[in-house]
Amino acid sequence: MNAIIFSALAGVVMMYSGIITSKKTVIKYIAAIALVVLIAANLLQVYGIWQISVDTRDMLSFEKFGLVFNTLAFTATLIYVLLSGKEIENAGVNVAEYFALIFFVLCGVSILSSFNGLLMMFLGIEILTIPLYILTASDKRNLRSNEASLKYFLMGSFSTGIMLMGIALVYGATGSFALHTNAPVALSATGGIKASFLEVAGMILMFVSMAFKVSAAPFHFWTPDVYDGAPGVFTSFMATVVKAAGFIAFIRLFEGHTAILGPTWKILLAFVIVATLLIGNVTAVFQQSVKRMLSYSSIAQAGFMLFALYSSNDMAKEGLLLYSVAYSLATIGIFAVLIKLKDYAFDDFNGLGKTHPALAFATTVCLLSLAGIPLTGGFFAKYYMLASMVKEGGPLWLLIVAVLFAAVSVYYYFRVIQAMYFKEGTPSVQTEITSGFKAGMVLLAILIILLGIAPSLVLNLFYF
Amino acid sequence: MSTIQILFFFLTALALFSAIMVLVSKNPVHSVLWLIVVFFAISGHYVLLNAQFLAIVNLIVYAGAIMVLFLFVIMLMNLNSEAEPRKHIWMKMAGVISGGCFLMVLVSLVRQATDMQQRTALMGSGNVGLIKNLGKALFSDYVVPFEISSVLFLSAMVGAIVIGKK
Repeated sequence: MNAIIFSALAGVVMMYSGIITSKKTVIKYIAAIALVVLIAANLLQVYGIWQISVDTRDMLSFEKFGLVFNTLAFTATLIYVLLSGKEIENAGVNVAEYFALIFFVLCGVSILSSFNGLLMMFLGIEILTIPLYILTASDKRNLRSNEASLKYFLMGSFSTGIMLMGIALVYGATGSFALHTNAPVALSATGGIKASFLEVAGMILMFVSMAFKVSAAPFHFWTPDVYDGAPGVFTSFMATVVKAAGFIAFIRLFEGHTAILGPTWKILLAFVIVATLLIGNVTAVFQQSVKRMLSYSSIAQAGFMLFALYSSNDMAKEGLLLYSVAYSLATIGIFAVLIKLKDYAFDDFNGLGKTHPALAFATTVCLLSLAGIPLTGGFFAKYYMLASMVKEGGPLWLLIVAVLFAAVSVYYYFRVIQAMYFKEGTPSVQTEITSGFKAGMVLLAILIILLGIAPSLVLNLFYF
Repeated sequence: MSTIQILFFFLTALALFSAIMVLVSKNPVHSVLWLIVVFFAISGHYVLLNAQFLAIVNLIVYAGAIMVLFLFVIMLMNLNSEAEPRKHIWMKMAGVISGGCFLMVLVSLVRQATDMQQRTALMGSGNVGLIKNLGKALFSDYVVPFEISSVLFLSAMVGAIVIGKK
């Protein structure tokens, strides 16, 4: 409960900070301090030292998995604010409100990591997405930002409608909003599982809606347009923390229901995984803009994260934590560099290796991590996903398909590296690059390499 | 057939008919007006289930406030049939096929859900929907979601100001 209450309070504090001071840098530092407080409050609950206890009537259950995810998500947000804070300041006029909305998103994240009923899940999803519609539209003068926001809002409300229909059907079948994670599954005389048809249909509708929220194919159509149209600094936040939270909600919702859905569920999921990997990776190859390439790559990475749902065992949960950290850190790093450039084309990176060697090194490490090259965090993240699937007895062809698409992804990530080191030109760096930013990027790169050498740094949080 | 049953079938037919009219009407203003009829029919259903508060809220919020807003927007935008983007025939076919599949799944669900068939809705009795019980549930069992939804409204308000302010 600490995380939910403190993030909502921090949002309110940010709203008032806009009245007290008009200095944008001060607002940024207030946000960073609020994030540190938020992380500390959450850690106090993780280790059981102090927590605000509220009788939630079993609608929220605070387990280690969700709380550890909160810590990781807040830490990623802190790194994001420190690296890209300058761009948040310049994204528009209402800086304090943008930070307030980011904190409200974090409130949604902490609800999604601990919900124990469909009602709380719905509230969490809405608290997560409604601020995002606004952040997408924050570049008000830009027509594309407005278009992206409207598109996101319409599609998002439609998918929320589908989710509500699913919740209504499940409620009609079971008479409660509870998740029934530990309910014994009754077998009928014929050996089939006795579940209400309404419940199955409701779960399928919720699957469609959740697949939309995490942009899994074939429900991914909004992603490239929205990620491309939104101001780059907010795309970075949307593609990392928010997407990882969506997966946490996804796995929490479905881990107790796989028995009800039966064997068809695995076939359906395998189809969605292959389609997501195919569309994400193949389309990313043909992109001319790095920003658009990264939005397709986020679809492709979602395909890998879906493996956690496929296996949904303990290893998958560990892997999902590792994956969200490795993916979030790498993407935040790339976007932090990308939004310093004038345009988002591949050519803007030309010659960055010569003029800004530190930045080029950090970006390279981030890209290698996204591609899943050993010695970076991304390798173990992908390894855990696939290993959990094999442990659960997943089919071999699915493994081969995943590895093949991981190889395809190397191509488009390396195009950026190639532009940085092997192409002549002057990078169109728009904003001045401070030594603090350089140091931050190098530290981020070291963190990613550290994760690749010792993934237990994150995994131990789960157990100790 | 008792009065309640007659009312039920009348309201259901009315709701279905006007919902179809919302879709078929060429004029967007007519669509909105038919949608108001749908809301009235659904409110009638709520009254039959003895949920007067829900019925009134449905009328005030949806038929009253939201639909008026809708009408304003549509009249301001001055939509006409020529401005409507033409959809490709394949798009229409895909829509019909996927919508039809979904309808088939839902109809077969209702037919096969044997555990649902013995249960019937409480018509004209039961007091769950009364305002007193609703308030009690909201402030005892559901107080946490009730309070957390305030964060949702707060962020929506912040958003409205951020987008609306120059």
